[in-house]
Amino acid sequence: MYALAIKDLVKRYPTGTEALKGVSLEIEEGEFYGLLGPNGAGKSTLIHCTTGLAQPTSGAIEVFGHDAIHHYGDARLAVGLAPQEPNLDWFLTLEESLDFHGGYFGMTRKDRRERAQELLETFSLSDKKDQRTRTLSGGMKRRLILARALMHRPKLLILDEPTAGVDVELRLELWHYVQRINAEGTTILLTTHYLEEAEQLCNKIGFINGGEIVATGTSADLAREYGVTNLEDAYLKLVGRGELSRAHIGSEA
Amino acid sequence: MSPAQIRFLTLVRREVNRFFKIKRQTVGAPLLETFLYISVFGAALGTRIDQLHGVDYVVFIIPGLIMMAWATNAFSNNSSSLLQQKFQRSIDDQLSSPASPVELLLAFSLGGFLRGGIVATLTFIASSILVGVPVEHVLVLIPALFLVGFFFSQLGVLVGLRAEQFDDVSFYQTFILQPLIFLGGVFYSATLLPEPFETLTQFNPVYYMIGLVRYGFIGYSETNIALSLLFLTVAAGILFTVNLRLFNRGYRLRA
Repeated sequence: MYALAIKDLVKRYPTGTEALKGVSLEIEEGEFYGLLGPNGAGKSTLIHCTTGLAQPTSGAIEVFGHDAIHHYGDARLAVGLAPQEPNLDWFLTLEESLDFHGGYFGMTRKDRRERAQELLETFSLSDKKDQRTRTLSGGMKRRLILARALMHRPKLLILDEPTAGVDVELRLELWHYVQRINAEGTTILLTTHYLEEAEQLCNKIGFINGGEIVATGTSADLAREYGVTNLEDAYLKLVGRGELSRAHIGSEA
Repeated sequence: MSPAQIRFLTLVRREVNRFFKIKRQTVGAPLLETFLYISVFGAALGTRIDQLHGVDYVVFIIPGLIMMAWATNAFSNNSSSLLQQKFQRSIDDQLSSPASPVELLLAFSLGGFLRGGIVATLTFIASSILVGVPVEHVLVLIPALFLVGFFFSQLGVLVGLRAEQFDDVSFYQTFILQPLIFLGGVFYSATLLPEPFETLTQFNPVYYMIGLVRYGFIGYSETNIALSLLFLTVAAGILFTVNLRLFNRGYRLRA
């Protein structure tokens, strides 16, 4: 069974823009899948369709065999989403943010309390648990968003550019953590603009461009497919900017 | 409790938590406002006004003030809460949960309904202590107040859903809701108005709501009670159906 199976997914906005043009994608259980593509390629739209934040025009999405579009209850229980933009409620404390999230997913009060405590400790947020979320720094907000996504113990974790704008130590800290939970069995779908991040973490990578998946494989597979030596050059070829390759910078010098 | 019950209670708890966090603004301010009305219109002006339809003027206006408290708080809570959560995108946390559109709609509705209910109840208790308020027809009063609260909760949800900026919400509140309530006869009896204003008042739906609540409290009404109840039930039902359709479509919630 696939953790995520997307078939012929089309998303057309009322303006006529076709953000996804029949995307099909399969992510195996336990995989760490990286979705790479330029801005506007359709990465976030694909994630939003999977998590119910956007309504697909046509196509099918299954999460661990459960329909994620029409009868989405079980599918949504299995997914945790850490969105690209921090979307915390300013009025809530850190602990309340986790507690309410757990409640939306049907967790009992005892379970919510224990899980929130565990996650606050894991992400070094325990001493701030009674503060309102708007008082947090950008890095702290990122940690809380990841903690919230993990609150209901999802089997599929979706990370939409989780390390955008965070400092080096937090980035490494997050890498270690997501690698650990992946090793423990959580399937992860990651979108990122940091190719190094994708290379380091993902065992499979998909290139998305213009609303279509254009290539899939390991980083070595993709480099081979584009006739280059590394993932970065393959990506630059994908976006039609091969002249920016570091190899060229070296030769010009 | 089943996971579905926990989910729904949490959705409601979140809405209640929001207005209790800012209770000075959401509960304290409306209470003060109502007391100012009672002081100015009731105690100060009321001493110079004869009885209206057999009751003191201050007692005559209290049912309308209680109804107004429930209506405006239900409306403003739901419209602000929805808009604020859309604005922050924090609503995505609920939208990406297993909650169904009807659960989401009911939870958002209940937030304002409960806030309005709390302010109206506190106003009633305080008014009863200060001036003594009769309750003549409790079997009309309770359903009438609940229906008014539910109607304005739905209206608040609808406006919050449509709104894209805070100005949109205050526009409805200041330019539509307040005039309808004030001109619906909170502070006077429509029979005292000269024509054509007496007839025009009869086109204001709030006039019938005040009529119902006033009948429940002091036993006097200028409107047909059964028809007013029927009208209010149908209107609240229509608004709920419209909102449910919009939630099902994900209107201005899901891309």
